[in-house]
Parts: sequence; structure tokens; C-alpha cells
Amino acid sequence: MEKTLFSVSDFIATVNQTLEYAYPTVEVEGEVASFKVNQGKYVFFDIKDAGGSLNCFMTVWQLRVPIEDGMKVIVSATAKLTQWGKFSLTVRSVRPSGEGAIKKSFEILKAKLDEEGLFAPERKRLLPIVPSHVAVISSTGAAGYADFVKIINDRWGGLQIDVAHVQVQGTDAPDQIIRALNYFNSRDELPEVIVIIRGGGSADDLAAFNDEMLVRAIATSRIPTLLGVGHEVDESLAELAADVRAATPSNAAQILVPDKSEIIRTVRYQVGSLIPRVENSIKEQSMQVKALLTQSLAKIEDYLEVNFDQLDATRNVLSQLNPQTVLARGYAIMRGSQKIGALIEVETNKSIIKAEVKNVQTK
Amino acid sequence: MSKLNKTIQQKTAELSNLVAWFDSDDFTLEAALDKFKEAEALAETIEKDLKSLKNDIQIVKQKFDSEA
Repeated sequence: MEKTLFSVSDFIATVNQTLEYAYPTVEVEGEVASFKVNQGKYVFFDIKDAGGSLNCFMTVWQLRVPIEDGMKVIVSATAKLTQWGKFSLTVRSVRPSGEGAIKKSFEILKAKLDEEGLFAPERKRLLPIVPSHVAVISSTGAAGYADFVKIINDRWGGLQIDVAHVQVQGTDAPDQIIRALNYFNSRDELPEVIVIIRGGGSADDLAAFNDEMLVRAIATSRIPTLLGVGHEVDESLAELAADVRAATPSNAAQILVPDKSEIIRTVRYQVGSLIPRVENSIKEQSMQVKALLTQSLAKIEDYLEVNFDQLDATRNVLSQLNPQTVLARGYAIMRGSQKIGALIEVETNKSIIKAEVKNVQTK
Repeated sequence: MSKLNKTIQQKTAELSNLVAWFDSDDFTLEAALDKFKEAEALAETIEKDLKSLKNDIQIVKQKFDSEA
């Protein structure tokens, strides 16, 4: 077989073609070493295990979760031979691997975003009390989405719900959710709220909701956001950045709309409570009327009593002035001239006496 | 806000106002019967509206698995 003579450049190109054909994308797990960022744009690090080490290169904006030396990660990359003859992995994405690394990455990013104020309570907006146009970002095949739809339909009606079907786990999930967020935020007719939902899962399943770019996209959404991801005990950075956090997808539906059965109960109660109010009012008013009548009667009685008393007093005065009363006390009335020899009439209580005047003396 | 939902909210607010009238200084026994009938009719309409409303769920056609 004839040996092929390559130029250096051709050989590098051929090796890269072969690598690309054989391994379009590889996932490699290892421990991070010599991590550094150059010019704020380019990220260099090695991943290694007990038997070897690989150079890795990526751009800052591809680095969606914080990593540091000693952290176990999985890189998704293409293998490449550089023009200087160095073998390296051009990394498309990197994610922490194992519980310890995931937790550490979470804490680093949480502290960083918290410092920037992304989780600040004063940034939180209120959701509309009763929305009529809602956007939902979820996987339509997921159990969490089915729970959400069931509860929404049980509780309320008349909503326009636009659903963006996206992956809610895996390396593509953050970008898909971000695209859906951008899609709804750029509509002419904006929904009143965006609900992002996903059922429970392992820490790895829910890792998409700790993606830095996604967390930032949620925090900067023009439309208020409601997140119901995982179970009550799960906490993701996306939830911390959202305006409202629901414990589960079902809870998100409960937060989003009122319960029509409860409203019907309240309405019935409101109307039912009016009957005793009217009855009480009738009772109160009839009691008032009775009280007024009693008062009026009492006033009339008082008036009559005063007048009867006055009448009695007048009668007494009149009675004292009656001449017969004076005669009864022993006095007499004399009629006639007080001249000697004149005939006079003397009236006592019981008799009338005719008499002649014998003497008249001045007192 | 959709027209139907708006109507329900308006009707609910109207009902609350009617109920509040019974506790207000404007209350008169003469007007109470008419107001009660009005409240009763409004409550029936609200209940009917709430029971008849259905949600309109649409899956958007846009794909999100790659940049549009």
C-alpha cells in the first residue's frame, strides 16, 4: 500500500475530519483542574481522572453553571487537534456530576445571583387576581402539566392558555425554555402571566432550572412569572428569580386562578345573609314604632295630668271664694242701710233674719 | 381580560355593592325588597356563567428546540 504524504495542515484537517466522523459529540466525565478565564471571554480547563488529563476550551457564554477546580463534571464536546498539534476538547456545555458537585455549583451561582439582587423581594411583581390570558411553558407530555391543566379546568373557565411545548430536563431544556420565554415576551398581545411547570424528579432532572441564563431570563421577563417546579422540598434558582413560586404544578394552578366553587358558595352565602338582615330591620323598625307610640301616649298622659291638676287648683280657689263657704265658717251677710231705725236683712249659713238697726257706732 | 371574565368580575363587584347597601345608611325597608331580588338574580347569573365557562388551551405552533 502506497503511503500518503500529507502536509502538516492537511494531516491536521484529516485527523479532525476523522474525529468528527467517529465522534461528532462526546460526553466525558472527569474532575476539573487549572480552570481559568482569559479576557473575560475564553474558558480553559483540564478534566482528569487517575489515568489521564484532557485540555478543554469553551466560551464564557457557553458556561451556564459555575465550575471550579476539583469539581466533578460531564462535558459535552467535540474532539479537535489544534493547528499547534495539541489535542483538546471544544466544549459545548458542561454540567456538574454527582450530588456534591451539583450542590456546590448551585450554592456558588445562588450566592452570585443573590449578590446581583436577582432574588430580591422588592423585584417581585404581583400576579393578576383573575388573569384571562396565560402562557404556559412545559412539556405537554409531563405528568406535572396534566395536573396543572386538570386543576385549572376544575377551578376556573374562560381562560386563553397558550402552551409552549419544551423539554423540561436535559442539556437542551434551559435554551428551549429561554426561547419560549422570549417568544411570549415578544408577542403583540402579551399574556398576563407566564407559568413554567415541571413535575418532580431527581436533582439531575431539575438541574435545568439552575441554569444561569435561564435564571436571568426569568428575572428579566417583562411578563410576571409563576414557577411550579418539582416538589415542595425542591428549591431551584429559577424559582427564586420568579415573581411567584408555587410548591408544585398543581399549586401553581391554585395560585393562578380562584376556585369557582368557592365563589359560587360565597355568592350564595352573600344573598342568603340578606334575608335575616331584612328581617332584623323589620323587627328593629317595628320596635322603634312601638317605642314612639309608647312615648307619645306617655306625653299625652303627662299633659292631661298637668291640666287636671291645674283644674283642681282652680276649683279649690273658686270653692274658697264661694259666699256659702264663708257663711259656713260662721260669717253673715247684712243687706240694707246702716241707719238707726232702718230695716236690714241678715243672712247666716242656715237662716235669713229681718232686723231693725238700733245703734251704729264707728270702730 | 376576556369579556366573559370581566363580566363575572363586574357582576361579583356589583353583588358586593348590593350586599353592602343593606349595611349602609342608605338602607330603607321600602327599597330592600327590590334590592334583594336584584341580588338574587345577579347571584344566579354569576353561578350560571361560572359553570358554563371553558378554558381555551392552545399549543403554540412555534418550535423551541432550535433558534427560529
